Amino acid sequence: MRRMWLGWLILLGSMTAAAQSIDDLNIQIHGYATQGFLYSTNNNIFTTTSSNGSPAWTEAMINLTSVPTPKLRIAVQARYFLLGSFGNSIILDWAAADYKVNERFGVRFGKVKTPWGLFNEIQDIDPAYMWTLLPQGIYELDDRESYMTHYGGVVYGTIGAGKAGKLEYRAWAGEGYYSFSNGAFIDQAETGYNLPRNIQGPLYGGALHWKTPVTGLMVGASDLTDNTWTAPITYQNGSTFVTGTHTTVANSQPNYFAIYEKGKWLAAFEYERAWVHVTSVFPTLPSGFFLTRQDDRTEYGMISYKITPKLTAGVYDSQDTNRAAPLGPGRYSKDWAISGRYDFNSFLYAKAEEHFIEGTNLGYDLTLNSNLKPNTNLTALKIGVTF
Amino acid sequence: MKKLLFAVLFSAGALLFSLSARAQVLVIANPSVKSADVTKSDLRDVFTGAASSFKDGSHATPVLLKSGAAHEEFLSTYVGKNDTAFRASWRSLVFSGQATMPKSLDSDAAMVDYVAHNAGAVGYIAKTSPHDGVKVLAVQ
Repeated sequence: MRRMWLGWLILLGSMTAAAQSIDDLNIQIHGYATQGFLYSTNNNIFTTTSSNGSPAWTEAMINLTSVPTPKLRIAVQARYFLLGSFGNSIILDWAAADYKVNERFGVRFGKVKTPWGLFNEIQDIDPAYMWTLLPQGIYELDDRESYMTHYGGVVYGTIGAGKAGKLEYRAWAGEGYYSFSNGAFIDQAETGYNLPRNIQGPLYGGALHWKTPVTGLMVGASDLTDNTWTAPITYQNGSTFVTGTHTTVANSQPNYFAIYEKGKWLAAFEYERAWVHVTSVFPTLPSGFFLTRQDDRTEYGMISYKITPKLTAGVYDSQDTNRAAPLGPGRYSKDWAISGRYDFNSFLYAKAEEHFIEGTNLGYDLTLNSNLKPNTNLTALKIGVTF
Repeated sequence: MKKLLFAVLFSAGALLFSLSARAQVLVIANPSVKSADVTKSDLRDVFTGAASSFKDGSHATPVLLKSGAAHEEFLSTYVGKNDTAFRASWRSLVFSGQATMPKSLDSDAAMVDYVAHNAGAVGYIAKTSPHDGVKVLAVQ
């Protein structure tokens, strides 16, 4: 809790500097902070006690950017994140140097955002979109830290295609990681299986965004591939303590997407297939081999409309099915969301969203949901300040 | 017939209003920018962070006014967004490591002074403001 307030104080202090450029050094400081509130009718979501109403959803972020020369940009971003039992710490979000030779070629390296899918680069940037929660089948709030960034580089550029529009490309490679304090590993730790450190290993991928001749229409595809990654794992149950090896087998995650913006309207669609094949081997345990397979197919369609310059409303439908799971509510998650955002001014905004969730494939924390129900309605509210 | 006449008159009125509104803002650039004119599409790309040069290869750095009628009009005419949406889209580029927020200036005079002294700078001012030392770009 103290860290949460510290995060807010740092940001408020920075705001007195008011997003200004420090002209002589060509340095800019920007940031944002958000406070969310979750209320669910049945299941507790995102490791919060949301069925009682939970404010345990706070973020604060600060960004420092310097432009020593017109082609070179150096930036660092730090983040405070609290969501239920996740985070509650300040982390290095990303830190990178970017050298843009020309429109056709640029390179970014360091700890960089991984540009897969339609929204991955901005999924943690709340002021950037109207939704309180992006479709959770693809942009999982409680598992995002593992997918947002990698250590390595991204090359990017835009190639004109004449009357056919423009083609933007991005290609990346480096080392990725699944954070041991994130996502599914929380559930795993609660049942006695613990990862002493992150799982990490090589990854690579590419994305193409075709800006079509139809003004406002972009169609794209991306693919993210992880090599096989291994890490030590421990199992503790009473006096039993054994060590083993956790392996995430090489896998690939393709995304196909389109977005259309015209006037006050925005419509988007995305499809993703994500399959994961994980083994945990404990040589000293009888039957010490565990296999988990997931094959998630997710798609969503969303549409929003700017009712007034300050008020935007929208709706999306998202469906996520794990084809490797047995039949039943645990195999799927269907989510209808109705959303609104109000911008009081350029710095302050509020969001409200109602979700109608069927199925339990969202990955509920089992210790907080001993009596998991197949359906849940979720109200998500958020207020944010950005500069 | 009356409806058709009304539609024609309304369209003509809207066109005249649109042209007169557009005429209230001058797009200015540092003399290092080679072209004397730019397309609306090029201008939008530069001011939304999608491009950092014009088609003629000239480096282009967008510069903004903090507020005011010229600022609102430039955004609605050439970028198609209001100030809140425009700054939100730039923040998403900044926070994802893809760009730096354009410099914002307080007045037309400060804009002209900055654009005149910084290679590649592109901005906008009210049509009636003095603009010595900068190049006026025609927008097609």
